[in-house]
Amino acid sequence: MVVVAVIAALVGALSGSWFMHTRNSPPSDFGADAGFSRDMQAHHAQAVEMALLVRERSDDEELRTVAYDILTSQQQQAGQMYGWLVQWGLPQTGSGEPMAWVGEDHAKAHTRPDGTMPGMASRALLDELRAADGLAAERLFLTLMIAHHEGGVAMADAALAQARTTEVRTLAAAISSAQASEITLLQRMLDERG
Amino acid sequence: MSASSKGKGGARAGRAKVDELRQAQKAKERRSRLILIGAVTTVVALIAGVVGFTVWRDVSTRPSLDAVKKFDVTREHTTEPATYEQSPPVGGDHHPAWLNCGVYPQPVPDELAVHSLEHGAVWVTYRPDLPADQVTALEDAIPDTYMVLSPREGLPSPVVASAWGTQIELTGADDPRLEVFIKEFRQGPNTPEPGAACTGGSDGELPTTTG
Repeated sequence: MVVVAVIAALVGALSGSWFMHTRNSPPSDFGADAGFSRDMQAHHAQAVEMALLVRERSDDEELRTVAYDILTSQQQQAGQMYGWLVQWGLPQTGSGEPMAWVGEDHAKAHTRPDGTMPGMASRALLDELRAADGLAAERLFLTLMIAHHEGGVAMADAALAQARTTEVRTLAAAISSAQASEITLLQRMLDERG
Repeated sequence: MSASSKGKGGARAGRAKVDELRQAQKAKERRSRLILIGAVTTVVALIAGVVGFTVWRDVSTRPSLDAVKKFDVTREHTTEPATYEQSPPVGGDHHPAWLNCGVYPQPVPDELAVHSLEHGAVWVTYRPDLPADQVTALEDAIPDTYMVLSPREGLPSPVVASAWGTQIELTGADDPRLEVFIKEFRQGPNTPEPGAACTGGSDGELPTTTG
């Protein structure tokens, strides 16, 4: 009886300290916190690239302002995620495919067949934007950014469901709501352009 | 009398029997305690063994980065053609414009690629005669951002991966050290300008305007 009690106490103490340890230790290299922080940086980087491109190709004040808003806020958010990974002692490069952190079943739903993240524009479409000007560039930008935001919202919602750190969950919630409401604005601006 | 002496003798015999039983009981308890301790020790040793073996196997099969070379390099901006001590270069003075990250089917200007290394990119170069399937394998192996892939003449090995101030010579596209090098150095702690862009620069042409 005594021996059993001692073993039970030992197991209890060990699992307790393990629990406290995992609660306070930095996120894992393979978890949603690190995965989201890496993938959303790359996702944001493309939004910044597209916003910069359209600002050089459009004179429309409202569109240029929306693009400015997107590129400054997303560049700043990418910096936050970069900093977390540094602080957690994790590399900026993940071990698996993009979006692996959402899990087997979700990954199929969230990742496109070519392995890139949801809502990402292809290189060919970016080249098209680079070659376009004026109204054509505005229309293409709005179309691409709506799809980009829809993918961004899906990624942020997945992180909100799976991440365990407060900082990731807070930013994911902010990205989800900000981009969801921006989709309405972008859609209105696209409709106005026929 | 006889009854009492008989009783005394019986009591003595009884006590001896009780002692004997007690001894046997104690021995039994000692034995079962030993068995329990033995079992617990065995289980703990087994768990420790399995965990230890798993860790050892992971560590021992991880490709080694012992072959990584490190260099001290300068980092001024210049629009003059630059010369580099390493080939491919791993740093040094470079053009004010950086090379957009991505896959290039033709060689790229050193002065632009070096600037991308400064921004955290890993530059993978391969010999122009590398078989097409290996080039495709390289394209598949690298992340979508903060990576440059291009052919290059005169490499010391079929594939060479470079990051700011560091380089590794690889045997081919299937060299397992490529992935480890990228994980270690892509936007790694050696990056002089973390957070700087790898887009919005040059697509491979050296800009003719002075910067």
